[in-house]
Amino acid sequence: MSTSTAAPPRKPMPSALTFDLHAKCSTTKARASTLKLPHGDVPLPIFMPVATQASLKGLTYDQLRQTGCQLCLNNTYHLGLKPGQAVLDTVGGAHKLQGWDRNILTDSGGFQMVSLLKLAQVTEEGVRFLSPHDGTPMLLTPEHSISLQNSIGSDIIMQLDDVIATTSPDHARIHEAMERSVRWLDRCIDAHKYPERQNLFCIIQGGLDLELRKQCCAEMVARDTPGIAIGGLSGGEAKEDFCKVVDTCTGLLPEKKPRYVMGVGYPEDLIVGVALGADMFDCVWPTRTARFGNAVVPSGTLNLRHRSYAEDFRPVQEGCGCSICRPRDQGGLGITRAYIYHLTAKETVGAHLLTMHNVHYLLSLMGSARQAILEDRYPAFLRQFFADLYGEKTNYPSWVVDALRGVGVDLMVD
Amino acid sequence: MGSESSPQSPQEMLKFTSTASILTPRLGRLAVAGRKPISTPHYIPLTSRGVVPHITQDVMRDQTAIGSVFVGLEDFLERQTAKNPFPPAYKVPTAANESALRNFICLPDDLLLIMGPRREPPIKCPPSNTPNSIAILTSVGYRQLEASHYIEAIRHLRPDIIIGLADLVRGHNPGLKRRGKMVDRTHAYTTHATEQLYKSKDTSQQQGAATTTTTTTTTTPPTTTTNAVYFAPVLPLENAEQSIYLEDLESELRPYISGLALYESASLSAVSEPLGDLPRLLFSAPATPHEVLRDVSLGADLHTIPFMGICSDAGIALNFTFFPPPPPQPQEQQEEQTSTPAPSQNQDQGQAQAQLALAYDLWSPEHKTDTRPLSENCECYTCRNHHRAYLHHLLSAKEMLAWSLLQIHNHHTMDVFFAQIRQSIDRATFDADTQAFSRRYVSELPEPKGQGPRLRGYQLPASGPNQPRRHARVYGRLDDAAEKFAESQQSSVATPDTGADGLEEHGFAKKV
Repeated sequence: MSTSTAAPPRKPMPSALTFDLHAKCSTTKARASTLKLPHGDVPLPIFMPVATQASLKGLTYDQLRQTGCQLCLNNTYHLGLKPGQAVLDTVGGAHKLQGWDRNILTDSGGFQMVSLLKLAQVTEEGVRFLSPHDGTPMLLTPEHSISLQNSIGSDIIMQLDDVIATTSPDHARIHEAMERSVRWLDRCIDAHKYPERQNLFCIIQGGLDLELRKQCCAEMVARDTPGIAIGGLSGGEAKEDFCKVVDTCTGLLPEKKPRYVMGVGYPEDLIVGVALGADMFDCVWPTRTARFGNAVVPSGTLNLRHRSYAEDFRPVQEGCGCSICRPRDQGGLGITRAYIYHLTAKETVGAHLLTMHNVHYLLSLMGSARQAILEDRYPAFLRQFFADLYGEKTNYPSWVVDALRGVGVDLMVD
Repeated sequence: MGSESSPQSPQEMLKFTSTASILTPRLGRLAVAGRKPISTPHYIPLTSRGVVPHITQDVMRDQTAIGSVFVGLEDFLERQTAKNPFPPAYKVPTAANESALRNFICLPDDLLLIMGPRREPPIKCPPSNTPNSIAILTSVGYRQLEASHYIEAIRHLRPDIIIGLADLVRGHNPGLKRRGKMVDRTHAYTTHATEQLYKSKDTSQQQGAATTTTTTTTTTPPTTTTNAVYFAPVLPLENAEQSIYLEDLESELRPYISGLALYESASLSAVSEPLGDLPRLLFSAPATPHEVLRDVSLGADLHTIPFMGICSDAGIALNFTFFPPPPPQPQEQQEEQTSTPAPSQNQDQGQAQAQLALAYDLWSPEHKTDTRPLSENCECYTCRNHHRAYLHHLLSAKEMLAWSLLQIHNHHTMDVFFAQIRQSIDRATFDADTQAFSRRYVSELPEPKGQGPRLRGYQLPASGPNQPRRHARVYGRLDDAAEKFAESQQSSVATPDTGADGLEEHGFAKKV
């Protein structure tokens, strides 16, 4: 591993995880590993569903366990507003609050600042924003973010970073944001009270400028955090740019640390992301789209609010092993598309059922990807996945084809 | 196929063993072939569009003791046209002895499925009933449900128990002439339905076959026989006013009816000795557990209890048992009195013993850090896994899980309540226990204040012109504040004096 910058003497960085790398794809950059966290082992690569406000959109935690989930997200921003730090401290953290005995990852709250950009302003000190409840101007600093995440007690915590849209035309601002994120990482490391039981991940910034990304990687790798995230993506940039950034960063990151690409959740993005060497992903899309009546299946998404499903008595996804699709004689519920059509957007149960399916789909997709990597047949897995998703090769998006060519798989040639 | 299986008579399909007593609490056992028997008195969980609200089928199977459901046909009817006359639920592929409705709503095989024409509680329909139809509310608007269509629905959907059509007037007391009409129409609906369903098996088979040949789809199974048993309605009127109808139920119609559906507690006195051995299903919309006990004392067997769902939606946890809870440790009691002063406990300090609240509102900030289960000693899934602080958080964060967990808890509380009622009747202490219960608890449930799930059209009464918005605007709330902030930038101008202290206290961020 190359740490190019001359690092000043730093506080040593304990780690509360172990990362066992089991296999690397002999063609692509894909890796299969196990991440051992304080609340259990997590097989990587993995998709992490987002339980924004300490609840995965109507599912009980037993239902979430049944989807196979070992690690889910909570949002620091939301938990900071409700129930708030005092309650978290009294109750004893987010695990105890929500009755979840597996792992939790929390973001820093910085991303919500981008999504509420008209309300927020970033200064060296921190992020100034308006309280969404009463409009009072507030300031969120890296120290606040870490202190809150310490109260939450999540197994993986994220540094506060200076997030700006990757599509921003202001190069100077992007440069400033990258450098500020590095400075804030140092403040986060200093503020972190429990490095022996909570793993602080740094977040690589730098917009779409690969040079900035490289500098940021060098700076942050030198800080030796237990894991590394690639941030600032999924902000509407072109997919080609997304792939280049991920590819560049994974090329510079140490092999023995988990790599987390933030905010990515479409199945094709995950599968390409894995090929480019990323291990962890999160996104609200599968759960959000479920509430709108969309089921994620190998051929894409089905909008089950469409009238054509009113009398479609097939399971949501044929052959799916989730508890809603499995037939009743196999211990499942035997839910049909027609019944989801009947419920969706009318009863909360419609949303719960599809949420279970979608989360299960993405988790099992990552499970099969992992298996394929372990058996060193990830290129074949890629071919099958994209054939199922797009059918004809002419439908394959060029960004997928190009990105995979870059790691030695040509989907156009069988 | 259905035509070969020898159709059983209604009496064989449903067995109800109980005393034929009237106007007194009684124990019973309702057994329908192939379903888990139900010990009565008990309640029938209510559904919306085929689900117990907020409870997915796997949670129902794994985490509740729900053994029966009541379903309203109006939840399954929408825009049926001449071209496509059957709603999707009729067309589910079904084996000879299966129920299409059961398959459509993915209900486990051993649960008792009861279907009535309307949801419970029903929304008042502005259109009025007619001599051969009743007004219903579907998710796409009001329409009429013809008596013949109801028969057709029963043949296709094959629930276990059907509630007969009744001409009910909602929202006001009907006048003398209207009451006469109610009786005549209900009498006619009942005569017509039992005739169609049970009397002339041969003709009904031909009719059933005829309907299927005229349909264009092949998925519709030839549903020629019905195993569904019929609960005849008793109108919420004086005995004398419906005596002709009741006499007919006792004599001519008696072989075809397997139970009675009643719409107010007072109707329990309309049940005469000859009908006394039939199970009585009550749609009286009781407002409190005290009213449920009154209904039990008057001999109701099966109860429908809308306040359970209303409480869950409003964030209210039921917290009562029919038998007195085991006396808490003296110290704990002390603590209870001082740390969480339930309003009722304090107000009634003057009395010899303070009355307990029947339920409490989890929206209340006193539960913010309360890590106790919802009810002490409760063994429901919610209480085993979660605490009041989490429920309070979920409610204030408007997370759907709050309602699911409350439904589980409230159903469990009711399960225990009814189990104790049965035990008490068995011990012949029901009257004394009821009196003790009413002394122990306050008379009312708390007023629902909390914001529940977004209500849909089919859950709300019709709105008139110029009514305020049903739901407050969610987006754009901060536009004003943002403008001010932008103007002042970092100056001290934009410092509204409201609740940022709270936020700061949360440690989320500090005020600038």
